[in-house]
Amino acid sequence: MTAVIGHWSIIVAFSLALWGMIAPILGSRDGRPWFFASTRAAILGQFFFVTLASSCLIYALVTTDFSIRYVVFNTTRATPVYYRVTGLWGALEGSLLLWEWLLIIFSGLVAWIYKERHRELMPWVLMILSIVSAFFLVVLAFVSDPFESIFPVPLDGRGLNPLLEDANMISHPPLLYTGFVGLTVPYAFAMAALIKGKLDEGWILTTRRWTITAWFFLTMGNLVGAWWSYHVLGWGGYWAWDPVENAAFMPWLPATAFLHSVQVQERRNMLKVWNLSLIIIAFALTIFGTFLTRSGILSSIHAFSNGPVGTVFLAFLAVVLLGSFGLLAYRADHLKGQPELDSVVSRESAFLLNNVVLVSALFTIFLGTIFPLISEATTGVKVSVGAPYFNSVTVPLFLLLVFLMGVGPMMAWRKASWDNLRRNFLWPAAAALLFGLILFIGWVRDFFPLLGFTLSVFVVATILFDTALAMRARRRIAGEGVLGALLTLARRNQRRYGGLIVHLGIVLITLGIAGSMSYSVERQATLSVGESLAVGRYRIQFEGLRGAQQPTHYRVEGVFRISSNGNESGTFSPALKFFPNQEAPVGRAVFRSTFTEDIYLILSGFSEVGQNRATLKVLIRPLLVWIWLGGVIIALGTIVAVWPVRRRVSAQES
Amino acid sequence: MHKTRRFLIGGVIILAALAYLIYGGMREAIVYFVTPSELKGQETTSRDKFLRMGGMVVAGSLQKDLKNLTYRFQITDGAVSVPIYFHGVPPDLFSEGKGAVVEGRIGPDGVFVASTIMAKHAEEYSPPHAGKASPPRSFVPGQEGSRP
Repeated sequence: MTAVIGHWSIIVAFSLALWGMIAPILGSRDGRPWFFASTRAAILGQFFFVTLASSCLIYALVTTDFSIRYVVFNTTRATPVYYRVTGLWGALEGSLLLWEWLLIIFSGLVAWIYKERHRELMPWVLMILSIVSAFFLVVLAFVSDPFESIFPVPLDGRGLNPLLEDANMISHPPLLYTGFVGLTVPYAFAMAALIKGKLDEGWILTTRRWTITAWFFLTMGNLVGAWWSYHVLGWGGYWAWDPVENAAFMPWLPATAFLHSVQVQERRNMLKVWNLSLIIIAFALTIFGTFLTRSGILSSIHAFSNGPVGTVFLAFLAVVLLGSFGLLAYRADHLKGQPELDSVVSRESAFLLNNVVLVSALFTIFLGTIFPLISEATTGVKVSVGAPYFNSVTVPLFLLLVFLMGVGPMMAWRKASWDNLRRNFLWPAAAALLFGLILFIGWVRDFFPLLGFTLSVFVVATILFDTALAMRARRRIAGEGVLGALLTLARRNQRRYGGLIVHLGIVLITLGIAGSMSYSVERQATLSVGESLAVGRYRIQFEGLRGAQQPTHYRVEGVFRISSNGNESGTFSPALKFFPNQEAPVGRAVFRSTFTEDIYLILSGFSEVGQNRATLKVLIRPLLVWIWLGGVIIALGTIVAVWPVRRRVSAQES
Repeated sequence: MHKTRRFLIGGVIILAALAYLIYGGMREAIVYFVTPSELKGQETTSRDKFLRMGGMVVAGSLQKDLKNLTYRFQITDGAVSVPIYFHGVPPDLFSEGKGAVVEGRIGPDGVFVASTIMAKHAEEYSPPHAGKASPPRSFVPGQEGSRP
């Protein structure tokens, strides 16, 4: 019964989506406002039916309705209730349904919020949203149906992949999907503006807030994914440049570029075509990512399955790209007559360079990801592109970005005077150089880490220096104290200070990556009980093995006592989990983070027969914890930037 | 015109730098997929390439030193077998008679020095076994019968 309701809800939602696609066209022919109003109704109707379908699947998962194939493959009777719910995004069909659900929630919000505003654009915005929604619904209804039944009905399910039984897995996919889906909103506005030929700035301001929101979820989704990889996958790393990680990361790059270059459009009315292209590319990459993940053309730990889904996504991607850029070319005459750059030394050009670097990074990552396909198609040589490629290509580009983060926000628009440069950069640059020199003399001799640390200090120094100058000015004008001045500044110019806080977060992530990439120590050994291993300042003594039956698996722990510099610092028990329906055990690494470094222990094997030995892998990863702290700072900065504050005057933005 | 030319020069410089980055990065990081038969006779020309090779671990070929974590074994595609040397901890599924994928370089003595071993997963899930699993007495990757 649940399956029938779910399946038919999708069919009904699909028909509504079709109506949402046709109605604005009929309305513009016929002139009756009824058609436009019905577009809105079609979106809200889709919202109702997709929510119903999703609820059906969640209900089926929670009540373990094993007549549905999807439920069989993603739960067992023993699965705790919350992991039954997260089974919704444990496999292909469910995650597509989640995607569609989030999409229609966003579309519903857009329809709800802009009931009165953007009257001319709205029917077309909702039409684009309906097209995207119709695509997902057609896939859900006919290609990969989450409500497909199975016969005979099995007694128990096969269960979720045990790696996915983790609290972070609850948040990682929905965060990423929210980010992807969020990018659909600016895309819809951009397409609507192109269709109507209304390319003034009103809609760009509207999309900016949506893009920041989507950007925030993308950033968090990627970081939580990295955290999950570090926390659960048990290899001691957080980013492997796996094709699917790339697919999730790539849309972030044009979205970030857009958030910067749209300021140039707001201020100077430049870069219109460029900004539209960035929105289109960002949206297309979310579809491309799904194609990459679901088609199985590239092997990846994330890939679910093969099947026709990949082809369907590729076809939709082609439609999106051709349609969007075709429309852009068609409206090219509306986009002419833009002012040119006044000077190379200006904020515009810093933002432009930032965009060039971000798009270059996108291009290199894209090339590396699809290079195996190009190589096999053209020369027949099967290759793969390893992580060293991505590291060696992106590290210089990202360091350049860090430098621009220090320079861009402090430069004047149009043309930065010599005075402006000296005033904003003399002291921060001096401080950074001094710091770099001390680091060089003291410890750090490698080029890229040294550059990374120095540039990070430069960015922090420029931000602190600029804020201090502004605070001093407030104090002189209004006589405010330190905290009061800071609050006034942040409130008056939310986006600027929110952005600067986000930059601080990115700097912390840079520090974490530079430290953990360049100065990791890795050691492996097989130890008998009582033996110990020295790694860096740590001494790790093997105390013995422990086994215990758990509800879903059997767990074997190695107990290790750690002392650092002779001081006892507790016992670590990395484990191997043996699931009855899995061929190989699942490792459970244990680590401890401090502000200076992480120590990470992996149990790779053990033998009890006669000798009681354990094979252990130890990793020391300096500064790694700053990556996660940087994520927290980014979240804070985004909240400052988008927090709705009623303004009396339209505050000046920069 | 002057400004356009300056932007053009800037663009060319950026493109050149990017091309250099990509070329350098690719040269370091491209992994070539080969089979043992393809490698046969190509040992010398393949020496400067980073290779990935898949096949079966020949039964009875595995010699391991658990204390020093060194593994020597042969990988075959049915026709040709190639000797492999590996230092480290192989993945959980790695064992004799099973599929494995190795990555590394071929040494002057014709031994493939693997830096990574990946085991081939037969399938993500196997149907649940009847009854409860007995607790494992030992688990050493690369050892037959070590699993419950």
